[in-house]
Amino acid sequence: MSEGATTGAVRHRPPRGVLLLGATTPLGRSLCAELLADPSIQAVLAVALESWEEAKLPADPRLTYQQVDLTRPRRMHRLLFGAARDLGVDVLVHIAMHRAYESGARVHAQNVEALRWILTLSERHPTLRRLVFRSSVEVYRVQENLPTLITEDHPLDFSTEAPQWVRDRVEADVLACMRMGMSPVEVAVLRCSELLAPGSGSQLHDYLSAPFCLRSAGFDPMLNVLSLEDATRAFLLAIRAGGTQGIFNIPGADTLPLAECIRRSGRHSVPLPGPLLAPAYRLRRRFAGSQFSYRIYRGRFHFAAILDGTRAREVLGYVPQHPLQWPVGP
Amino acid sequence: MRGVLATARHWGRQGLRRLLSSELELLRSAPIRDAGHGYDLFGLEPERVALMLALLGQLHRRYFRVRAHGVELLPTRGPAILASNHSGTLPFDATMLWTDVLLRRGRIPRAVADFFVAGMPFVGTLFTRCGMVGGTPGNLRALLESGEWVLLFPEGVPGIAKPIWKRYQLQEWREGHAELALRHRVPVVPVALIGAEEQMPLIGHLHKLGSLLGVPYVPIPLTPFPLPVRYHIHYGEPLVLHEGLHPEDADDPEVVKRAASRVRAAVQALLDRGLRQRQGLFR
Repeated sequence: MSEGATTGAVRHRPPRGVLLLGATTPLGRSLCAELLADPSIQAVLAVALESWEEAKLPADPRLTYQQVDLTRPRRMHRLLFGAARDLGVDVLVHIAMHRAYESGARVHAQNVEALRWILTLSERHPTLRRLVFRSSVEVYRVQENLPTLITEDHPLDFSTEAPQWVRDRVEADVLACMRMGMSPVEVAVLRCSELLAPGSGSQLHDYLSAPFCLRSAGFDPMLNVLSLEDATRAFLLAIRAGGTQGIFNIPGADTLPLAECIRRSGRHSVPLPGPLLAPAYRLRRRFAGSQFSYRIYRGRFHFAAILDGTRAREVLGYVPQHPLQWPVGP
Repeated sequence: MRGVLATARHWGRQGLRRLLSSELELLRSAPIRDAGHGYDLFGLEPERVALMLALLGQLHRRYFRVRAHGVELLPTRGPAILASNHSGTLPFDATMLWTDVLLRRGRIPRAVADFFVAGMPFVGTLFTRCGMVGGTPGNLRALLESGEWVLLFPEGVPGIAKPIWKRYQLQEWREGHAELALRHRVPVVPVALIGAEEQMPLIGHLHKLGSLLGVPYVPIPLTPFPLPVRYHIHYGEPLVLHEGLHPEDADDPEVVKRAASRVRAAVQALLDRGLRQRQGLFR
């Protein structure tokens, strides 16, 4: 599935202009600041749903902000063939997945259809040369007879029982991968470990926000979590890695068991028989308004799933360097 | 309350470390790749290894009174695959071999278990903390590439589940270990375990109950505990299966089959020799 990636040192090619979809996510803000800190980048076109006042992005003459709803194809077309073309944007970074645990056509449109339009439009775009898409560890299937250390060719979770949250992510990932080598635009898919940062849509972060964290008795699988600093660095490397495309696992610097993760977050670990967890977390979501879904995490609450970052290291030069500061903020 | 718990945990840990000081000292020289929080990528935790070593060390010394032969043949460095016969109804043979290698060589063999073991609550986690991994090519590749010793039982479940009248008769010999050795160019150390085959005679299997519990079967042994047979562990001369071959030859089924047969024959020869030398079940 991954194709075109080269081994050895990558030719780092600074982009002229970057279009950043999802600029108001924690990763988006961090990326925006880093891109603006690079004087070789002439323009950053930041896009999000919020107004400019709500977006609170740094004021910079090279930064253009647009409030665009990605579920509207006409607006997307106008963005790509308007501001993006005029600013000479050559790299598009898409990190605007729906963060809440919700379902429905609108969520699907943002998670999957928006990417489909982007991929189609980018093929005939006059300036766009590269697309960097944020995928995640949740696309991988986790079960006892699969490797603990997950490489990019690990089976994806095509289970019909998976919630839309997972199915959308798998579909979007596959959609992006399918275009590799078929489109004039280079496509890099970064399958990131769980980004443990507030506001990033992390299921694990929401799980750890409860004072008592329920887990399956008798199981304490290994997890890998990613810090905002490392995620930002991985995206910057992928943005600059012109001439390469493919799928890259992006692991974090923290690999630890779930119980240790709970302890370092200052929470209490409560082991329960596995079958009780799904109803317990359904009740929590219904009555406490939390986002965590046990259905998404069922596999990883029983079996270890650690991303193997060898390919990202060899091709992009990415090595996780920033462990999290425990406990991670609210 | 949280402070009290943290202090109790701290003191408990300190006390445990003091109790396990000799085991932890032994592990100091073991190549453990800490992934940052005191565990390796697969979940191995040195303190848990030390605890298990202290407990199993007693069984090793006092109960099974393990005698090792040919320890000097174990490689001094680099990755290796240890391939052994498997028997005994419950995997005491694996735990004794794990303990023996650790005590005599200071290296933690990464025992490869069938997939159902990882799915067993408590047991799977405990074994994982002691270095067990699921037998997928991806896991084993990562371990061998980082220079670890992988401990395999090519007979698998049929080996441990064989009836007493089939003792010391190797069951169907899987070939995955040979393919791994060829692909990653690592030596295979044949190992024969004498004693385990008689420790807990098996008189039947409950397959339906096993499937309900998520295991292949529930054994019905003749004795509720393993008999205090003496274990003899025979390490053989490492086999360099990849000599004169290329890593891509690991894709040739005939080459792999021949290589696996060499390992099987070496284990069988060690078993035969060990049985000839043995003076009695408990001696």
